[in-house]
Amino acid sequence: MAKVKVASDWLAGCAGCHMSLLDIDERIVDLLKAADLTSTPITDLKHPPAEGVDVGILEGAVNNSATERVAQLMRSRCKILIALGDCAVFGGVPALRNRVCMKEALRRAYIETESTTDGAIPSDPELATMQECRPVGDVVEVDIHVPGCPPSADAIFHVLKELVEGRKPVLNGKFLDWH
Amino acid sequence: MSATATTTTVNITINGKALQAQSGQTVMEAASAAGIDIPALCNDPHLRPEGGCRMCVVEIDKQRGLQPACTFPIFEGMVVRTETEKTTASRKQTLQMLFSERNHYCMFCPASGSEQTTDCELQRLGYRYGLTHWQYTPKYANDWAVDATRPYFVMDHSRCILCRRCVRACNTIAANHTLGLAQRGAQSRICADDDVQFGASTCVSCGTCLQVCPTGALADRRGAYMAHETELTRTSAVCMGCAVGCGIEALTRDNQLIRVEGSWKTTNGGLLCATGRFDVVEPKPQRILTPLVRQDGRMVEITAEKAMTHIAQRLRQLNSVAGLASPRLTNETLAAFQCFCHEVLETNEVGLLYGEVPPLDLGKPAVLQDLVTADCIVVIGGDPLERQKVLGFLIKRGSDNGAKVIVVNDRGTGLDRYAHTRLDLQDISHAAESPFERLRRTYHLRVSGVTQLKAACEAAQRPIVLYSTRMSTTVYAALRALQPKVKFLPLVEGTNAAGAAKLGMTARPVSGQGLYLLAGDDLPDGTPLPAHQFMVVQAAYRSAWTEAADVVLPSLTWPERKGHVVNLEERNIPVVPVLTPPKGLQADWETLLALSVRMGYTLSYQEITEISMTV
Repeated sequence: MAKVKVASDWLAGCAGCHMSLLDIDERIVDLLKAADLTSTPITDLKHPPAEGVDVGILEGAVNNSATERVAQLMRSRCKILIALGDCAVFGGVPALRNRVCMKEALRRAYIETESTTDGAIPSDPELATMQECRPVGDVVEVDIHVPGCPPSADAIFHVLKELVEGRKPVLNGKFLDWH
Repeated sequence: MSATATTTTVNITINGKALQAQSGQTVMEAASAAGIDIPALCNDPHLRPEGGCRMCVVEIDKQRGLQPACTFPIFEGMVVRTETEKTTASRKQTLQMLFSERNHYCMFCPASGSEQTTDCELQRLGYRYGLTHWQYTPKYANDWAVDATRPYFVMDHSRCILCRRCVRACNTIAANHTLGLAQRGAQSRICADDDVQFGASTCVSCGTCLQVCPTGALADRRGAYMAHETELTRTSAVCMGCAVGCGIEALTRDNQLIRVEGSWKTTNGGLLCATGRFDVVEPKPQRILTPLVRQDGRMVEITAEKAMTHIAQRLRQLNSVAGLASPRLTNETLAAFQCFCHEVLETNEVGLLYGEVPPLDLGKPAVLQDLVTADCIVVIGGDPLERQKVLGFLIKRGSDNGAKVIVVNDRGTGLDRYAHTRLDLQDISHAAESPFERLRRTYHLRVSGVTQLKAACEAAQRPIVLYSTRMSTTVYAALRALQPKVKFLPLVEGTNAAGAAKLGMTARPVSGQGLYLLAGDDLPDGTPLPAHQFMVVQAAYRSAWTEAADVVLPSLTWPERKGHVVNLEERNIPVVPVLTPPKGLQADWETLLALSVRMGYTLSYQEITEISMTV
């Protein structure tokens, strides 16, 4: 049987969910017997291959035009998309920004922060355009939501193991943790 | 909630199980009596069901659609199914809508936890129904505010699910009518009074709403983030704040008092006042852990041995000693103190620091819940809304339930606005200038007033008279002569002043060259102590008293005490310790016992228990 191809990428997040993915420890050896990690932000190949993968994993929320494109690219290149962690599932910490207007958020971040002197809001036209922060599911269709900040390594392993064994993972009990 | 006088058995079937339920019950009540769990959010067994949240929907044969279990009355031959594909789908959809209405970011909420540890009933149901995400993303644009204008607890509208438990608790349990709803539809929001900030409202911070809130919308400022319920130890105890003696649930962790809730099982029926619920966990002055002695004008630590020797030596040199005790101590401690004063100090100058106990023998004593069902409530003197707050709340509840309230006083009180009739008391005492002048005041109700009271009590079926101290003997005689159906509640001031009164200890002027002050965890309120040359203070906290003392002995705080107190219902209530005293500290009566031995007299433990048994 051909190996299941898995790719991951991150959007507006903190990389914590990928750290939790690594926390599956030696179980990754078993996993890699049945799955191929084609590309991740923490390996050499960063982008999902053009020929597509079976499972795509996205960490973080969509907060600008760049992360929106990353989300759309992953969706177009994977069969099953997993939203990993509270930011991807609910919006999480980045979505706190939505409660203040964009201008105020930028001013606070680039000018008013205590460590900033002579700050200026970046205005290079090549920069991504900011958007209201959204969970991945609001931008592209998501097949499996794995909430948690971060989701536990056990929950991530459970999801991937179920998928490589050809089942749709069901999250409940100890695998479902929203905080 | 069902309080039908005569109930008959009704045969119903829930989930294929034949049950015998009581007529008047709802499906929810019948199911929970049979141990069948139906999820609910707006329903609380202590509140009138409202059927608002639709989490408890069940399938009932011959009924259209799904029906809410919390409001649907049972009937003979009823067939109910609580867990079907239909109910699950409906409940999941309801949860999706609830989560989408506000910004329920669990990760920022003190109630949030895992499936096992969460304190949030909404999150628990989210786990139960396997919700992995929100079907509809909340509208961030709705900036649901946090109202932190009250001193003890905050309201985060983002975490509110509009179950209205708080509104019902405020209206029907606390009878304060502060909470309501502002706006309509998706803009609906819990509000105080005419939509003012909670801190500027008529809220009395009794915290009943906080106790029934199913989510983290109402969060205790001090207790939030300190522990999940699963990490707390829950002990049923008694509040030592005033003579009402409310039942409490003390929630502790690592020998710290984290939170206090009103007990639903005792006569206060879940109610507490701000003092009993919140002030008890506020920071306290420095604790006294070792005996202290005055040396060169400063209080310095010494061993218990040396402190006792010093006290014994000094007390023996004095001609007279007076003893004053806090009325917040247990019967056992007060009895030991009284015995210590009489037998060891050989003085009759022994009294309470403060406290007022009217005559306790006027007639049948009432219990607190009698106020809820009374049809006539007479309040003579005192100010229960200020001095015994839970009593005040229950009087208001009685008034809501249609009781005629008669307020008899020499001045205006908070109860006046609930009074159907207001009668004036005359001050018939002579002006006196002693510091105990207050204790000497006597009030009188004129015969015309007494006649009115008598007529009101006779016309009523369940009359209750609450009465204060310092009435003229004519008034007490008139009350004693009321019909036997009248129940009485004395407006006792001082937590265990009634217990002390049964021992013969009252607040009265005492004098002596020496003063032994058994303060417990009481703090000075500015009232001057009697003049003295030498003072021993047995206290839990550093205060102006201990700074003025010659010798200080450590004492226990209220959550550490064990014994009994007598409340204003004249019930002898066991005091259960909820915290372990700091290492090396002993009960107050044990300290007195050790001191008596040092003074050459043995107060045996048996003798003290014998005394307490006579209480």
